Amino acid sequence: MEIQNSSSIELRGINKSFGSFQASKDINLTIQGGRLVALLGPSGSGKTTILRMIAGLEQPDSGEILIDGKVVNDVPGSERGIGFVFQSYALFRYMTVYDNIAFGLRVKRVPKKEVDSRVKELLKLIGCEGLEKRYPGQLSGGQRQRVAFARALAPNPRILLLDEPFAAIDAKIRLELRSWLREMITRLGITSIFVTHDQNEAIEVADDIIVTNEGRIEQSGSAAELYSSPRTPFVVKFIGNSVLVDNYYEFRSFSRAEADTVGVIRPEFVEIYKTSEDIRYSRSADEGYVRDIIFRGSSIEVKVDIHGNLISAIRSINDAPLEIGEKVWVFVYRMFLIGKDGVRLVENSALRENSIVI
Amino acid sequence: MKTQKKGGAVKWILITICVIFLAVFLILPLIYILSTAFRDGISSYIKAVTDEYAVKAALLTLKATFFAVVINTIFGLFASWCICKFTFRGKKVLSTFIDLPVTVSPIIAGLIYILTFGRQSFLYPILDDMGIQIIFAVPGIILATIFVTFPFISRELIPVLTAQGTDEEEAAALMGANAFTIFKNITFPHIKWALLYGIVLCAARAMGEFGAVSVLSGHLRGKTNTLPLYIELLYQGYDFTGAFASSSILMIFAIIVLILRVILEQRGKKERG
Repeated sequence: MEIQNSSSIELRGINKSFGSFQASKDINLTIQGGRLVALLGPSGSGKTTILRMIAGLEQPDSGEILIDGKVVNDVPGSERGIGFVFQSYALFRYMTVYDNIAFGLRVKRVPKKEVDSRVKELLKLIGCEGLEKRYPGQLSGGQRQRVAFARALAPNPRILLLDEPFAAIDAKIRLELRSWLREMITRLGITSIFVTHDQNEAIEVADDIIVTNEGRIEQSGSAAELYSSPRTPFVVKFIGNSVLVDNYYEFRSFSRAEADTVGVIRPEFVEIYKTSEDIRYSRSADEGYVRDIIFRGSSIEVKVDIHGNLISAIRSINDAPLEIGEKVWVFVYRMFLIGKDGVRLVENSALRENSIVI
Repeated sequence: MKTQKKGGAVKWILITICVIFLAVFLILPLIYILSTAFRDGISSYIKAVTDEYAVKAALLTLKATFFAVVINTIFGLFASWCICKFTFRGKKVLSTFIDLPVTVSPIIAGLIYILTFGRQSFLYPILDDMGIQIIFAVPGIILATIFVTFPFISRELIPVLTAQGTDEEEAAALMGANAFTIFKNITFPHIKWALLYGIVLCAARAMGEFGAVSVLSGHLRGKTNTLPLYIELLYQGYDFTGAFASSSILMIFAIIVLILRVILEQRGKKERG
């Protein structure tokens, strides 16, 4: 495989509307060459629009798109050095796998011999040798995605854009393809952006994640950053398995902040103890009742009612079993508080007192 | 098993109803046409069929059909393409207007053209100066035929194009393919069978058109009489052998079209499967 140049991408003050619907609101982002980036957001948050504007399939109403530092607003998509994998794959259904992959090269009038060697090379790369004479309709979902990937890569693009690449594949193969795609892209070193609404997918595959919501970019950074220091209320609620708590001040060792504040508790912030178990911070633990127990295979998710809120918590398979309706102690290590002026992470005050003692 | 048996009974009842229906409304009249056409023996049938005016009428019908099909194919392709691949204001209105000829009586269509191109129209002196006659002439007949048949092709194409979406075309365009390559390699293979099927339907309808053509033709024997008009003329003159013999020509056209249709449907299905 030849070494590809990978381009950097920059968007400056991009706005885009479809009729009265504003799909992009002042989008600014920079993606370094060779990074693998996820555009993550709920449907309708404008992530696909961003991708299509980079590809030249949509024109922004205002703002600039730069590739390798050059403004490309007026450059047609076919001359931006982009490979695009559509959500539906958009394989040419009346062409064989071979012709599909060769299409982009033939359009560029690449000599026949080179086309042939490039197509064979790509077929080998995606592990689909022997399928070249098949039509897209005769392939499995996973194979189709691989062929779409190969077709996008055939003309040696410097940027690869993927729109919901795993949406059309069943769950089991999806996991397989995720790691396959990550490995492929890392090996090629090509700048890649993929759109997804699945945070697990984004976390697993991408180097960096850009979270979009209602046409805006909420926050961008690594998965760890988004988890540990979410900057906007949306990111707090969207990332992780969050539960919103209005009466957070009723929890022991958490005091009331400003008036219109909401607490956010994630399963990993919570520990559950049976009443018979030893508990270190007994004075700071809340009383709760088990409402639901869900077996997750490698762990057990427990839903506990505390002060009228249904909080999720994780228990190990090795812990003593709980029963529905059982009274338990719940210790909340920390929670996010969303106020008027942003998001704060608040620790249980018992932990603070303890650290002073130590 | 029980439900299957029940299903069996329903199936046979429905089949019987269909067969009886077709027999009464289709097969019997067809047999009647043929038997009347051959009532006075084969020689008078041949005489009626090879009559100068009958041949001219048949040729005119084929001519009008040919022009209608060619023009409607081009129009139908453009119309369905722009309706399916672009979003623009008034798209719904346009696609509704395409359906208009299906709902408007052909007689009205004929009258519209009389009003537009006839003596009372402001266009008449202009056309007359240029030596173009539309009303009571062949151009009028072709115009009327085009009007009544123009929805057929786009109506076949629109669902196929809509189902296909624009992804494949966008993918090809992103790889640098030009509009012609995209149409030839991606769009056309997809709509090929639907297009041919639409052409067949359009041809069938064009050949049988009576109402609009009747208003515009002026019934000049040997000049502006299409086959359906000629049949009507013979029938009104109590020449039953002639009328039914000429009908049988139209019937043969129809059967050819029907066979084409079946072949196309089969081919299309095979390729899709």
